[in-house]
Amino acid sequence: MTDPHHVVDPVTGEEAAIVYEGVYKAFGDFEVLRGLDLVVPRGRITCVIGRSGTGKSVTIKHIMGLLRPDKGRIFVSGRDITAMSDRERRKVRLKFGMVFQNAALFDSLTVFDNVAFPLREHSKLSKAEIADRVQHMLAQVGLSGASSKFPSELSGGMRKRVGLARALIGNPEFLLYDEPTTGLDPILAAAMDALIADTQAANPELTSLVISHDMKAVLGIADKIVMLYEGRVVHEGTPDYFRNSDDALVRQFLEGSLDGPMKV
Amino acid sequence: MVVRMVEAVGRTSIGAWQRFLGALEELGRATVIGLRGLANLFLPPVRLRLIIEQTEFIGVSSLPIILLTSAFTGAVFTLQSYRAFAIFGAEAMVGGTVGVALTRELGPTLTGLLVAGRAGSAMAAELGSMRVSEQIDALEAMAVDPVNYLVKPRLAASILSMPILTAIFDAVGVAGSYLVGVYLLGMSKPEFLVRLGDWVDWDDIWTGLFKATVFGLLMGVISCYKGYYTTGGAAGVGRATTSAVVVTSVSVLVTNFFIAWLLP
Repeated sequence: MTDPHHVVDPVTGEEAAIVYEGVYKAFGDFEVLRGLDLVVPRGRITCVIGRSGTGKSVTIKHIMGLLRPDKGRIFVSGRDITAMSDRERRKVRLKFGMVFQNAALFDSLTVFDNVAFPLREHSKLSKAEIADRVQHMLAQVGLSGASSKFPSELSGGMRKRVGLARALIGNPEFLLYDEPTTGLDPILAAAMDALIADTQAANPELTSLVISHDMKAVLGIADKIVMLYEGRVVHEGTPDYFRNSDDALVRQFLEGSLDGPMKV
Repeated sequence: MVVRMVEAVGRTSIGAWQRFLGALEELGRATVIGLRGLANLFLPPVRLRLIIEQTEFIGVSSLPIILLTSAFTGAVFTLQSYRAFAIFGAEAMVGGTVGVALTRELGPTLTGLLVAGRAGSAMAAELGSMRVSEQIDALEAMAVDPVNYLVKPRLAASILSMPILTAIFDAVGVAGSYLVGVYLLGMSKPEFLVRLGDWVDWDDIWTGLFKATVFGLLMGVISCYKGYYTTGGAAGVGRATTSAVVVTSVSVLVTNFFIAWLLP
C-alpha cells in the first residue's frame, strides 16, 4: 500500500495531488471500475482517455464524492475522502471546480447568477465585489455580453464556457472537466482546448483533470495521459509516449480503427 | 407438471417479494428525504427568498383554480342537497350541511388533489429535469446541500400554502353555496346562515386545516422524492411527474380517511 502523503507521479515527477488506490465500483451487475490505480500530479493537466463506458465519468465523480467506491481509497492532498463524513467531504469540495459534460447550468438563473452562485453560497464578498469578479471571469471566457441571458438562450459552446467560469470563480485548487469538447464543432472544440490550456497557464498551481475521448485535443493540452480500459489503467505517459506507442490498444484508440483488441 | 407449477408459484412469490422490498425501499428513501427536508427547515442558510418564490408558485399561482373549483363545488353541492332535503321538507339544513362538508372534507381533500395536480407535478418535473441534466450533481459539486437548497423551500411552501388555500376554498365554497341557496333556490338569508353558524364550529375548521397541513407535507415529500431520484432521461422525468401526482392523490385520500377516523 502506498503512503499517500509521499507519492510522486512517475510520468511528470510532480507530487501527487489525487491518488486512486485499488478503486472498484459496480452498478448492479455491471462492474465499471475494477481496481483503478491512478496518480494525478499537482499543477499539471492530466487527461483520462478511454472508450465510452470505460468508467471515465465515474472516475471523476468519485473524487467529488458524488459516487462512493465499493472498495478502495481515494486521497486528495493526502487525505482519504472515502473515510470522511458528509460535512468533511463538503469542505473538500470547496477546493474543486467542475465543468460538467453538458455544463449543468441552472436553468432558472441567468449567466451572471450562475457564475455568481458559488460566491454567494460560500463567500462573504459584497454584492459589488461579486459583480466585479463575475464580470472579470465572464470576460476571461469571452462572454462579457451574455451576463443577462438564460442558459436556454446560449449555444453549447457558450454554455460550456459559462460552466468553466462558474467552476473557476471560487479559485479552486483542482479543476475537473468531464468531456469538455463533446458536442462542439471542431472550431469550438479547439477554442475550448485553448481555453483549458490558457486557464492552466494563468493558474500554475491549478491541478486539472480532463476526461475526454478527443485524442487530438488530449495530445495538444495534456502533461500526462492515462488510458482506461475495462475499469483499469492500461497505459500512462506523456503525449509523446502515446504518439510513439506501438501498443495495439493505444494505436487502435489513436487511429479510431475498428480493427484491434477493442470490439464494438 | 407438478415441478412446473411449483416453479411458477416460486417465481411469482419471489417477484412479489422483490416488489414488496422495492416498495419498502422507496418508502424508506422518501421518509429519509422528508425528514432531511424537515430538519433543514431549522438549519442555515434560511433561504427565505426561495421559500417565498415557491410559496408564490404553489400558493398564489394556484388561487385561480382554487377559487373556480371551490365556488362551483359549493354551488353544485347546494343544488343537489337542496333537492334531496326538499323531499323531507328539510331545506333549512342545506347551509349547515354544506358548511360542515366543505370545512371538514371537501375543502382539504379537493385542495390537496388540485394542488398536487398543478404544483406537485411541476415540482417533480423540475427536480427530475435538474437531476437528469446533472444540475443536482452540480449543486453537490459546489458543496451546496441539494436538500437544503431544493427540497427545503418546496417543503416549507407546501406546508404553508395548503392550509391557506384550504381556508380560501372553504370560504369561497360557502359563498358559492350561499349564492345558489339564496338567489337561485330562494332560501331566506337567515334560514341559510343560522344553520351554517349552528352546525359549523371551530373544530370542523381546525380539523380541515390540520388535514390540509398534512396533505401539504405529503405532497412536498412525495413530489420532491420522485423528482430528486429521477433516472432515465426525459422519459424518466415523465414517469416521475405522473407518479408524483398519482401517489400524492392516493395518499391524500387514504390519509384523509385515517385522520377522519382518528379525529371524529
